[in-house]
Amino acid sequence: MMYRLLFRQFLRTQACQLGLLLGLFVGIASLFVGQQFLKKQDRIALEVEEKQQEHIERNIKYHGDDLGLLLYYLKFSIVNDQEPIAALSIGQKDLNPTVQSVNIMTLEGQRYDTDLVNPNKLLYGNLDLGFVIIYIFPLLIIAFTYNLRSEEEETGTWKMVSVMTRSNLKFLLSKLLVRFTPLAILMIVLFALAGWFLKIPFASQLFPFFVISFFYLLFWFSLSFWVVSLKLSSNFNSLLLLTTWLGLVVLIPSMVNSYVANRFPMPEAFTTIINQRDGYHTKWDIEKRGTVEEFYEDYPQLAHYGFPTEEGFTWHWYYAMQHLGDVESSEQSRLMVQKIEQRDAVSKELAWFIPSMHVQLIFNDIAGTSLNHHLRFLKYIKSFHEDIRLYFYPKVFEKLTAESIDWKRFEPFHFKGEKRSFDWSKTLLPLFIGIIVFIGLSAFGARQSFSEI
Amino acid sequence: MRKDLVRLIASQFGKGVFKSRAMLPIIGILLLLLAYATYSGIQYHDQNHFREDHQHMARSSWENNPDKHPHRMAHFGTFAFRLKHPLSVFDFGIESYTGNAVFLEAHKQNTVNFSEAGFSTGMLRFGELSLAMILQLILPLVIFFIGYSSIVSDRENGTLKILLTQGASWKEILFGRSMGLFIIAVLLITPFFLATMIFLLTEDHTVLGDWARFALIGTSYLLYASILCLVTIAISASSRSAKNALIKLLGLWLLMAVLLPKVSQAAGAYFNPTPTKLEFRAAIEEEVKKYGDSHNPNDPYYNTLRDSVLQVHQVSSVSELPFNYSGFVMSQGEKISAEIYNRHHDLLMARYRLQNLPAKWLALINPYLAIRNLSMALCGTGFESYVDFQLQAEDYRYMLAQKMNDLQIKYISPSRLSGSEGKRDVLNRETWKSIPDFKHEFMSLSTALKNELISVISVLLWLLLSLWGVQYLSHNAKAI
Amino acid sequence: MLEARNLSKKYGNTDALQDLNLKVGQGEVYCLLGQNGAGKTTTINIFLGLISPSGGTALIDGVEAGRKGRTNHLIAYIPEVVQLYGNMSGLENLDFFSRLSGHKHSQQQLGSLLLKAGLKEEEHRKKLSFYSKGMRQKVGIAIALSKEAKVIFMDEPTSGLDPKATNEFTVICKELANENKTIFMATHDIFNAVNVGDKIGIMKEGRLIQSSDTTTINAHELQELYLKTI
Repeated sequence: MMYRLLFRQFLRTQACQLGLLLGLFVGIASLFVGQQFLKKQDRIALEVEEKQQEHIERNIKYHGDDLGLLLYYLKFSIVNDQEPIAALSIGQKDLNPTVQSVNIMTLEGQRYDTDLVNPNKLLYGNLDLGFVIIYIFPLLIIAFTYNLRSEEEETGTWKMVSVMTRSNLKFLLSKLLVRFTPLAILMIVLFALAGWFLKIPFASQLFPFFVISFFYLLFWFSLSFWVVSLKLSSNFNSLLLLTTWLGLVVLIPSMVNSYVANRFPMPEAFTTIINQRDGYHTKWDIEKRGTVEEFYEDYPQLAHYGFPTEEGFTWHWYYAMQHLGDVESSEQSRLMVQKIEQRDAVSKELAWFIPSMHVQLIFNDIAGTSLNHHLRFLKYIKSFHEDIRLYFYPKVFEKLTAESIDWKRFEPFHFKGEKRSFDWSKTLLPLFIGIIVFIGLSAFGARQSFSEI
Repeated sequence: MRKDLVRLIASQFGKGVFKSRAMLPIIGILLLLLAYATYSGIQYHDQNHFREDHQHMARSSWENNPDKHPHRMAHFGTFAFRLKHPLSVFDFGIESYTGNAVFLEAHKQNTVNFSEAGFSTGMLRFGELSLAMILQLILPLVIFFIGYSSIVSDRENGTLKILLTQGASWKEILFGRSMGLFIIAVLLITPFFLATMIFLLTEDHTVLGDWARFALIGTSYLLYASILCLVTIAISASSRSAKNALIKLLGLWLLMAVLLPKVSQAAGAYFNPTPTKLEFRAAIEEEVKKYGDSHNPNDPYYNTLRDSVLQVHQVSSVSELPFNYSGFVMSQGEKISAEIYNRHHDLLMARYRLQNLPAKWLALINPYLAIRNLSMALCGTGFESYVDFQLQAEDYRYMLAQKMNDLQIKYISPSRLSGSEGKRDVLNRETWKSIPDFKHEFMSLSTALKNELISVISVLLWLLLSLWGVQYLSHNAKAI
Repeated sequence: MLEARNLSKKYGNTDALQDLNLKVGQGEVYCLLGQNGAGKTTTINIFLGLISPSGGTALIDGVEAGRKGRTNHLIAYIPEVVQLYGNMSGLENLDFFSRLSGHKHSQQQLGSLLLKAGLKEEEHRKKLSFYSKGMRQKVGIAIALSKEAKVIFMDEPTSGLDPKATNEFTVICKELANENKTIFMATHDIFNAVNVGDKIGIMKEGRLIQSSDTTTINAHELQELYLKTI
């Protein structure tokens, strides 16, 4: 009975109506943004499927009699397969291309190409469901709860309430529950819509995403309740909570970001690309034998193909030069990857203390849109590049023609990203600890403070 | 308005604020953020050293090339590393989202790679803490916090009645309080500009017009602060209760600084989809092929070209021409493909501008967006400065490729029809040194301002509007 | 000194004030009694020039109240709760408010004004947030004195004051009246009204329904009259 009245009272407030409407609107908008993202990715993957064979056939027509020349032109596509859940947390996926095409020349010059993106769009960020949960939901929680107690005091009803109810704490908790329920329902509605609209498999993808969101919601409720338990004025509560929000979702993550970026600067990226160019190009100016010898050091199984003559051009020598571009930049490239991994690791460690960051990183992990995921894709490209080179090298060295190769094998390749089991305890623990801490703090405060007025 | 009264009210307000306990933590937090933002701004800017070093590294390996066939040099190519504007210390703008290095070679327009965002773990998407960001996003909150109750709580407790019966007019009270608030805001802003100024003074790497830009940025932020102060006072004067005023101001902040920018940019992107690199490249390739495929030995376009050249020179084969024909074909091909690429690139940029349009025009109703866009443009860290860098890099690439083609046409034996390998048909290594290195020129101040005219208008408009609002309230506000 | 002629004020369809007529001479203390919402504060607000009447005129020293601030120099106002600025001392508050009215008093003069209003010397430099209600009211009175106002309007000045503070207030009021200041107050305190007032008016639903002289009525009679008319 009391709950019904409390509900009615809350649902009549402007804050509730506006807040829920805003949450629903932005949430649905985010699903459309996600849908557009998925559609684009699917379209590209499909186009690549169609174009690859056409690309191969056209080049065979012109250069089919010279396999070395043909492979100079041929590019092989690798598709970074996208799960539908990526639509909920686009992460780094807007920047890193879904499809990378490589030929059998130096890899380092091809591997890091970014997609074409509007930098302003990146600046403002993607409006995905992850954003709605990390940014907007806490704001709604703040708007709903900041005056949970202070409003009663400021309008003069608190004294009456505390005389009438058996436990002030219980009364406040019921008010909190009344504010929690609509938000939880809003979240469930958005996830249901997402599952249905974007066809996201429930058990493997949507469910973990939802559970984390739910815990994040609980974290903010417990934080808000702690602020409420401090028994300050509405004005002070709203400022304190909003400042906390600003700190957690803007200031602290941005401070961590610049800390990480400055601690691990990446000049190696620039050095890598200069080294790969110089590594390859300077070989034009030196004796061919030395170049090919170096090449054989890496691939002794090919040594029986012997050495080209010093005069004139051979593909054998050409691809050896190309390979040395990779060899001479490999140290810098390794350092660069190492730094990226360090950045990732440090961010994840620090995120343990900052729920918003933690949730964002986990979202990206689940969605397969994290930096780490892209790094694995880059590594896959590298091994793929090695595979096709070793496949083609003997055929080029033997001066075969295109006819001798079964081109049907060269459909676009797909990178699935290894299925990693979802580590519940590690993922939820930071949020759980946060919730416990704030519940503990407010319970400690409440024992003394709520019993009095 | 009596000036001395306005001054009296302003100074009373200012003193009162500085005496309040809340000021100390606010100033503390602001100084902390200031220190951190300055530190990371300088660190980011220091990346210029890496970039300059690498520019030199790339250049010296270019210059160290031995005698070579010019086409080898066309493929050797060079790099353009994007240097940061000194004022990027103040406002990072889109710097972290734009590529920083591009390989410039013949036949191929590479993407500008290695953006900070590409190396970021996704935290970058939370935003960046720069001096400008603090002033744009946090300063409003501070001003709102200091000023929200300034008028309304005096009304709530009757002090306003005393003020009025003591002889102060509404106008004097409202403008006096606005001025008091503004003076506090100026005191809070000043360290930010001092930090930037000290950096500019100590930085060797300067750009022409730094100080003019600096002065304009300072002025815009002062105008922004005065808008914020006037709006705060106006809302305080027109609200029923202090709580009400605070809620209105915080709501306004959320709407203007968090929701509108994000939603407007998302809407712009949603309704103007752009091609991916793959599609973009495919479209260009398609068009180039339609023109003629120089790789196809039977291509009608290039066959016609060859026949007409042979006819003009009255010879029967290309090896009899007085110049190197393959250099000539490449220069033709480069011209065609560059033209097609540039057209597509322009279209793509136009598309991006279309995506940015909502956020650009919304600046008219949103002073936060206006100052954000304006500040980026003035610091040389905005969208247009990046486009400008790309254009300059492409111009240089084209110049370099064509220069190599010209050298080939002129100095390589006409009988060498293909290949560029070996020690014959080479040019002296001194030639490479004579070609100037890539140097990025920053966009001129006037162009930057012209691009952000809407934002300039918006800031001025908002200033007038908020002045008018306070003026209006001074006739219509209620004392009780 | 004060005169209301057929003064009325409408808020929408409700009459806050109807045909109010009263006269207060110089040096007189006028007490307005009445229930909440009877129109006492509205009357004061019109005299203060903060709202304009729907009909009739309010005159201060023969000049229409509120017209372009022409009566401002004559009047001062002390609200029910004198809040002022908590982080400034009594002296600083007085300094600020007297400067607002265009008067520049020396620190010494300001100090003697506070003393005259009944605030002890050692309290002058304490922050206002440490003052009791009565002490704040004294600062309010000092503010009124500083601008040399001829008429002082007070809104329920004795509500919430303890008996000692009320007594001190009464004493000061009488002193002010002796110095030819006109005092116009709205109050619920019948006994105090009889004590300090020269004239008393009782208002109900926007009308002045009783008006009497304190020389002809004692507190007990007034209370009976009040209860009867309300």
